[in-house]
Amino acid sequence: MPIELLVQALLNGFALALVYVLVALGLTLIFSILEIINFAHGEFYMLGGYATYFGFALFGLPYFPTLLLAIVVVGLAGVVAERMIFRHLRGKTLNAFIVSLGLLWVLQSGAQLSFGVLDKSVPSAFSGIIRAGGIIISVERFVVVLAAVGLIAVLYAFLQWSRVGRAMRAVAQDADGAALQGVNIEFVSMLGFAIGCALAGAAGGLLAPVFAVSPAMGALPVVKAFIIIIVGGMGSLPGAVLGGLLLGTVEGIGSLFFGSAAVNVLGFLMVIAVLLVRPRGLFGVA
Amino acid sequence: MKRQGCREWIVGLAALVALGAASPATAAEKTLEIGVLGPLSGGAAAYGVELVRGAEMRADEINKAGGLKVGGDVYRIKLITYDHKASAADAATAANKLVFQDKVKYIIGNAVGATCNAVQTVTEPQKVMFAFVCWGTKNLGPDKPYSFRSMLSQWEAAEPFYRWMKEKRPNIKKVAVISPNDTSGLDTNTAVVKAAKGLGFDVVADETYERGTKDFYPILTKMLAKKPDLLDVAAAPPGEAGLILKQAVELGFKGAKGWTAGVNPATLINVAGQEAAEGVWSPVNVNVKSDFVDPKVRKFGEEYEKRYKEVPGVIAVANYGAFDVFTKAMQEAGSVETEKVLAALTSRPYDTVWGKLVIGAKETYGIDRQFLYPVVISEIRGGKAVDIEQVLPAALKALKK
Amino acid sequence: MLPSPALRRALTGYGLLAVASLGLPLVTRDSYYVDVATTILMNLVLTMSLRLEMSTGQLNMAHISFLGIGAYASTLLVMRGGYSFWVTLWLAGLAAAAFAVPIGSLALRVTGPYYFLISFAFSEVVRLIFNNFFVGWFGGPSGLVQIPKPDPLRLPGVELTFVSKVELYYLMAVLLLLAAAVLVRVDYSRFGLLANAIRQGDLLAETLGVWVFRYKLTAFVLGSFMAGLAGAFFAHSHQVLHSSDFGLEPMVLLVVFTVIGGTGSVWGPVVGTVTLTIVSEFMREFHYYEILLYGGVLILAMLLVPEGLISVPGRLARLWRRRPGAETMGVGVAP
Repeated sequence: MPIELLVQALLNGFALALVYVLVALGLTLIFSILEIINFAHGEFYMLGGYATYFGFALFGLPYFPTLLLAIVVVGLAGVVAERMIFRHLRGKTLNAFIVSLGLLWVLQSGAQLSFGVLDKSVPSAFSGIIRAGGIIISVERFVVVLAAVGLIAVLYAFLQWSRVGRAMRAVAQDADGAALQGVNIEFVSMLGFAIGCALAGAAGGLLAPVFAVSPAMGALPVVKAFIIIIVGGMGSLPGAVLGGLLLGTVEGIGSLFFGSAAVNVLGFLMVIAVLLVRPRGLFGVA
Repeated sequence: MKRQGCREWIVGLAALVALGAASPATAAEKTLEIGVLGPLSGGAAAYGVELVRGAEMRADEINKAGGLKVGGDVYRIKLITYDHKASAADAATAANKLVFQDKVKYIIGNAVGATCNAVQTVTEPQKVMFAFVCWGTKNLGPDKPYSFRSMLSQWEAAEPFYRWMKEKRPNIKKVAVISPNDTSGLDTNTAVVKAAKGLGFDVVADETYERGTKDFYPILTKMLAKKPDLLDVAAAPPGEAGLILKQAVELGFKGAKGWTAGVNPATLINVAGQEAAEGVWSPVNVNVKSDFVDPKVRKFGEEYEKRYKEVPGVIAVANYGAFDVFTKAMQEAGSVETEKVLAALTSRPYDTVWGKLVIGAKETYGIDRQFLYPVVISEIRGGKAVDIEQVLPAALKALKK
Repeated sequence: MLPSPALRRALTGYGLLAVASLGLPLVTRDSYYVDVATTILMNLVLTMSLRLEMSTGQLNMAHISFLGIGAYASTLLVMRGGYSFWVTLWLAGLAAAAFAVPIGSLALRVTGPYYFLISFAFSEVVRLIFNNFFVGWFGGPSGLVQIPKPDPLRLPGVELTFVSKVELYYLMAVLLLLAAAVLVRVDYSRFGLLANAIRQGDLLAETLGVWVFRYKLTAFVLGSFMAGLAGAFFAHSHQVLHSSDFGLEPMVLLVVFTVIGGTGSVWGPVVGTVTLTIVSEFMREFHYYEILLYGGVLILAMLLVPEGLISVPGRLARLWRRRPGAETMGVGVAP
């Protein structure tokens, strides 16, 4: 097996996994602050994709401003969802699961009825191919990788150093304790949910030109996100990044040797294996 | 006081009802209910939606022209549509509802492999005519006389396609094929591999992927390492086929491109981008705007686009055509009873939206239940699908002799 | 000794279930209604057994996989082994239980959302195996077709051929009543009390000497056995098997039925399954809007009735007791 093929495979795997990490980060953030698993998370990814489609493909706005706009729009959608629905379900994991399922159906059907069933393509914002040795990556994908890394860095900085970010981490660790310290739980929950959705929306917007948009496009990324946060540990940001890299490796290399079904099985087997050795994921917090 | 008002109301209401009942229904006007099933939500919704629209267009046309005249009766066609969400169990329940509650005797339109088998467990024992676009060899057979496929499947398309390629594009020697890993996909790959190998091609890659995949770099990396001359995206639906081609070109592929099961060039071109879609050959897709198709198909395309604001693919045309064939057979039989209509359906050519159509393919399935119409090879040039040749499937060819 | 009201409730509930399920074909023989009712009965077995597992506080997303294991096991034994359905029915249950032991032992090592996701991972692995591996046995993406109906059964005075829907319905009703009897008995027994304790707090229960893991595993294996039985019925009544029947979508429906009905009581799933199946069949009329409306129903239901539909009578009763003018002595009033 030529080394170039292996490196190319790894590169393919990582590039995509990084974007799924964005989705995973959003999901894990929401879980750590509100203690709910939002099954409809993939639909916010989809909304980000469509928002980018409308801005960039239909109205001809430049790409990066459109992406920012999409992030804001999806974040606002998250605020609405949180205020109207999820706020009442804090800590009630099972009920939140059912509700998020309902929301998934509402959003997906709504998208289908509003935007039509056919895939809509978003023109590439960047053309060209970068070659290094025998390795290829399109400029478009390279930009996506840079943007994803950038967003992850921004999120990290926000959580580490800003006051609101620290408040969020406090709530994630111990909501009651944080409340006693004067943290406004309601506000933090709302913001956390919004940021979580915005991250998914960003991922959708970044991948829209690469993969086209369709009402059901959120289904696969959310499954990948689940795998990533379980492996990495729920509530852990470095865990999510590591989980993403692991998934990228398994899928990238796996595809060289096995068919797609086997690769999917490998992903799930990885989840099972990690959980048996470390029941809370690699960096999971109790 | 109040009571009197009440009585007047009741009388008034009764009068209205009586009027309604006596309203102009001619002595022999009846309603013919026809069922349509399909995935109307989720990933495969594009197929279901096209099925319903194709049916709607033909039903509306017939009704506007005064109804369907069969024997001494005139029937108004009423469509009953259900979403089976691509689930076999749901399809069986929906079929039960259609057959036992809504009492339909015709289900014209269904898609997604496993659901066809499920529906057949209901329709065959009840002698309900069932026309679908599902691919696969298991759903047509002598034990299922009431089941028909209204669209060319990979078995009918692969052989003429690769035969044309061998004759007219002899520089192609190595073939790589990829499809989704479900019934349609696997069958398509099998058909393509069989046709290609039978004609002397070297099949260097035979791959499948999980439906819903968007990132094909890994699998393409593997396939392109074998240096194929032709990449056939076989049974991939338009969105995914577009992605595969786009990414193949990004990875440096410069060879020929085929799409044995291509059904909607517009979406593929959209998703793949002009450069990647350039040169894609397809034997099954129907470009409703081309010169090689029957003028009736063009007309259908225009009206469809006017009504639904989207360009139709072959599934819509196929279902429209199926409606055509069955209603014509009803008229020939002089009855809407399925046993009689079945007897009236023969292998002689029908005049349909496709032009001449024949029900055949006994050699593949053991019974003539496959709609056969000319295969038009199209090539995508400059962002548009251009028809370049018409090839007849073996069965149709034999008939013409 | 059980308090009388609980026992009375258990017997009343079971009695109602028996009368309703056995009596339905007397009310209607319409093929469509009988078909929907049969599906409801089968789903009842699945949701009630799922609820058993959930009563120890764990949501098992792989429950549907055991339906599949039972289905494929029975099919293969009948079609390849030539056994009679009446034997394979029980073998299917045992097969499911056999797989449940290792899977459950591994999965139950984790809790909460991790259990949810590890069981989901298991279910996907099983589904992918059914869909893509051992194609000679499982039929691959084409699935298996032409599965025979249950073998004719000769009872004193009558021969049942199971060709008609009504006969299949009665078969399912009998299976349901058997399963329900076991589940109700378990729930109202010591096991039920312990399960409740475990659900409320693993650690606490453990300190009280309860062997938590064993209880969870027992519930898991028993629940899977019942799913396996249902699987055999599924295979031979539908006659067509496909891996998608055992994937995320049908599993999610089971969870929805169970939670909307209410997990607090063994009857919750009954209410949930019956109500939602009827609602969704009714919504079929809306084709394109069906899924949208269904999603809306779920959201509203969970927000308005978080404890599940089964809690509605209780809540109404409490409201009734608190109405103005009602005697309030003894109802939460301090002496």
